[in-house]
Amino acid sequence: MSGSNKKSHLLNNIRSAASKPANVITVLFFVILLFTVCFPLLSLLRDAFTVHFGEIRDIGKPVGAFTFYHWQTLLFDNLYDYSVLTFWKPLVNSVLMAIVSCIVAVGFGGAVAWFITRSDIPGKKFLSTIFVFPYIMPSWSIAMFWENFFKNTQIVACYNQMGMLESFTGICVPEWVLYGFFPCAMCLGIHYAPFAYLLIGGILRNMDANLEEAATVLKASRFKILRRITLPIVTPALISTILLVFSSSLSSYTVPAFLNKNGSFSTISTTMRSLFNTAAMQGQGFVVAIVLLVFSIIILSINNKMTGKRKSFTTISGKSGQVSLVKLGKARMPITIVIMVISVFFAIVPLVSFALESLLEVPGDYSTLSLYYWTTTDTLENRVFGSSQGILRNPTIWKALGNSLLVSFMVALISGTAGILIGYASARKRGSRLARWVSNMAFFPYLIPAMSFGAVYLSVSYLPAFSFLHGTVFLLIIVGGIKFLPFASKSGANAMMQVSGEIEEAAFIIGVPWWKRMAKILFPIQKASFISGYLLPFISCMRELSLFVLLAAPGSIITVVLQDFEVNGLTQISNGINFLIIMIVLLVQFITNKLTGASIDKGIGG
Amino acid sequence: MPKIVLDHVTKRFDKFVAVDDLSLVIEDRDFITLLGPSGCGKTTTLRMIAGLETPTEGRITIGDTVVFDSSSGVDISPAKRNIGFLFQNYALWPHMTVYDNIAFGLENLKWSSSDIDKRVREMLQMLKIEQFEKRYPSELSGGQQQRVAIARTLAPSPKVLFMDEPLSNLDAKLRLEMRSELKRLHVDTDSTFVYVTHDQMEAMALATKICLMEKGKLQQYAPPLEVYDYPANLFVADFVGNPTMNFLPVDAKRVSGNTYSFSMLGKDLLFKGNCAIEEDSFKAVVGIRPEFIKLGEGQFSGVVYTTLPSGMETTVKIKCGDDMVTAVVFGSVDYSHSLDMNFSVSGNGILLFSKESGKMLSTGTIEMMS
Repeated sequence: MSGSNKKSHLLNNIRSAASKPANVITVLFFVILLFTVCFPLLSLLRDAFTVHFGEIRDIGKPVGAFTFYHWQTLLFDNLYDYSVLTFWKPLVNSVLMAIVSCIVAVGFGGAVAWFITRSDIPGKKFLSTIFVFPYIMPSWSIAMFWENFFKNTQIVACYNQMGMLESFTGICVPEWVLYGFFPCAMCLGIHYAPFAYLLIGGILRNMDANLEEAATVLKASRFKILRRITLPIVTPALISTILLVFSSSLSSYTVPAFLNKNGSFSTISTTMRSLFNTAAMQGQGFVVAIVLLVFSIIILSINNKMTGKRKSFTTISGKSGQVSLVKLGKARMPITIVIMVISVFFAIVPLVSFALESLLEVPGDYSTLSLYYWTTTDTLENRVFGSSQGILRNPTIWKALGNSLLVSFMVALISGTAGILIGYASARKRGSRLARWVSNMAFFPYLIPAMSFGAVYLSVSYLPAFSFLHGTVFLLIIVGGIKFLPFASKSGANAMMQVSGEIEEAAFIIGVPWWKRMAKILFPIQKASFISGYLLPFISCMRELSLFVLLAAPGSIITVVLQDFEVNGLTQISNGINFLIIMIVLLVQFITNKLTGASIDKGIGG
Repeated sequence: MPKIVLDHVTKRFDKFVAVDDLSLVIEDRDFITLLGPSGCGKTTTLRMIAGLETPTEGRITIGDTVVFDSSSGVDISPAKRNIGFLFQNYALWPHMTVYDNIAFGLENLKWSSSDIDKRVREMLQMLKIEQFEKRYPSELSGGQQQRVAIARTLAPSPKVLFMDEPLSNLDAKLRLEMRSELKRLHVDTDSTFVYVTHDQMEAMALATKICLMEKGKLQQYAPPLEVYDYPANLFVADFVGNPTMNFLPVDAKRVSGNTYSFSMLGKDLLFKGNCAIEEDSFKAVVGIRPEFIKLGEGQFSGVVYTTLPSGMETTVKIKCGDDMVTAVVFGSVDYSHSLDMNFSVSGNGILLFSKESGKMLSTGTIEMMS
């Protein structure tokens, strides 16, 4: 074959490959994700080994020079127990906190899942609806509620404010109940219980009832069936839940940040935050980010290893409608009451408490109900950034709320659309290596704890070439768009897999162009799933703090403003803002659900 | 008028060879069935001709146009091949009504709306589905969905129609009905049909020519009766025909000319071939269609093993020494098992295969050695 022939052959092949949209999308996203996922990770790695501006004096080397100083200091500096206090103790704290929250989440969520799917407990629909509430609320909501409930006049760290419990009963709990290890672990556990419920409940619901019935026919007792049949089948989901809750709790920032006002309990994430806030210790902050990242990756690869092969257990046969429910008998009422009370207490009462707290001029004194903190034009506190007027009159809050909505909208648009496209490409190019890489890269941000992911982009924004991004809303949009991509691309891929390729080919053959196939065939068929792919990033982003806390400028987005008011003791305003956020999230979800049938619980638990 | 030519077409998925060096000429207005067991490459072949799958090597021509050529990198989009494709699971768009499903393709060809309406009504009428016009696919039965799918495919009047096991999701009765309608449609539409199936009865009944494949390789490409009467090899002989052909291994020795001797079913026999065979002495397999075995009288004797009456005909299995022989009897008979039974082998359609290569060497007759 002559040279020119070869050339035209190659050109023809390229043209033929480029005429297939799935190829173009795959290549495009390969490049995009290389820049947005892989490149920032390298930058993070580099930052953990180089000198930053604030560290020149301590290290004695110029900016950008290679150094082991950060690792050595943080991990092995024994002077005044430095590394023990700033690294090892917080790490142990985090691990213990994660273990306890796992037990609470899986125990509580798993039990409720079993009662709802396998017993004759009444009010299942109501219970399953309200039970997921704590997971839809911002992650610190339970913590904030905990504080509203237990704070009392005996504790200095909460500015001696009176909480609900003291106000109604006069009981003052000791400080360890309000701040520190115990409340952090409990709140995380309660926050993740719905997550455990959704994962385990999903398996129980889809499990072929014949498997249990076959054992019943063979005269196995109820207990034996649970122990020998049900539990082993649910085991993969159980392990999965434990590992995911463990890894999320380990790297949780918001809960310990809200429930550590007395400074007695530091975790790995709060340590990372304060290291980044100190100019001379940023390098060490990057080290912590890498440690957290390694932890998450190890945990999630264990998860994949342990559940990958065993997932085949979860046989979905579609014939499992006829489950014979366990009769709870005499225990029915007591169990129902206990579960109902706990669920309502953590789902409905927090909402009431946020609204109520924002209306109390004197915390805990329910005779002082007023709209003062919503409407005043007085400056309430000088330490907060920007204006500290009443919520409705406060330009800082409104601007931040607007920014949050903008960021969330853009993030939803970016990750939702990218998710659909990646889902499309990976469904059409199943088995292609490049497509597999792309979908793995799109899933990778899931493995990275939110705050480490923030740190990754913080390190990018320090690069001279990207310094224009530093502290901008634009940076938040990029970070959010990438961080929430895994949910969107998973739901996009699932939706695409459900539509047989032939449905699209039938249109392809009669010459319908690609964009029209997407818009007129694929999108309408899987409308609900695709819109969920937009809805979930929007909602997650609207209530996100850990991801943005290192990157957002003061007063830029609503969650940052909320935290500012909270740590400075203006709890009426922080409660009011939290109430606003929850209402917006619920409203958006409700409207979308009514209009399109999309719902958030389809995407939760991924 | 389109004639389809496949020229040394190969398709590999990683290391797995789905279609291996396939060359085929499909004449205009043929009704071709691609037949074979599942995984033999027949659907891949069809999808490659349609342009839904890209061949690894080779060249495909439809009419005067080269639609694919690996050596020059030509790969024309299916949209430009002027073809219709009927999918196994119909692939009706669930969010469109029957009318919209049929009209969508025409809108896309930029037809005027009055022309579209006229054509859609014509198709609805032709396939007797006028009353379902406003229904959604999920509101139709399998057979009705099938008709909608056919209407949608035929609406733009494609010159070539590809069908991928279109009847396999229908129940047995409906399948027979649709079979005759498809054959009628082939005549009425005056176009070329290429049809994939794993059902040899369907292939026999529909096709003008059968293309039988196994493991990606072409086994035989001939009209149905030729495939039945003169199978190219053991695989084809075994695959086509129900109940399957009897295969009896023998040691064949030339007596004279095309006459060979061997012992079979406990008797010494002569095979008088119609074609010249090279070898003088070889391991052979004798193939006898069940209908060539006549029960009641004859030189062979055995014991009835089972009887399977199906109304119009009865399949009888007879144990003869270590061999099992299947016979078909017209009408309903019910032999009690273990009954002694004599039978003969008749006709000029007895087949002799080489055991080593599996190739069919000659047809012929069997006689007792005197």
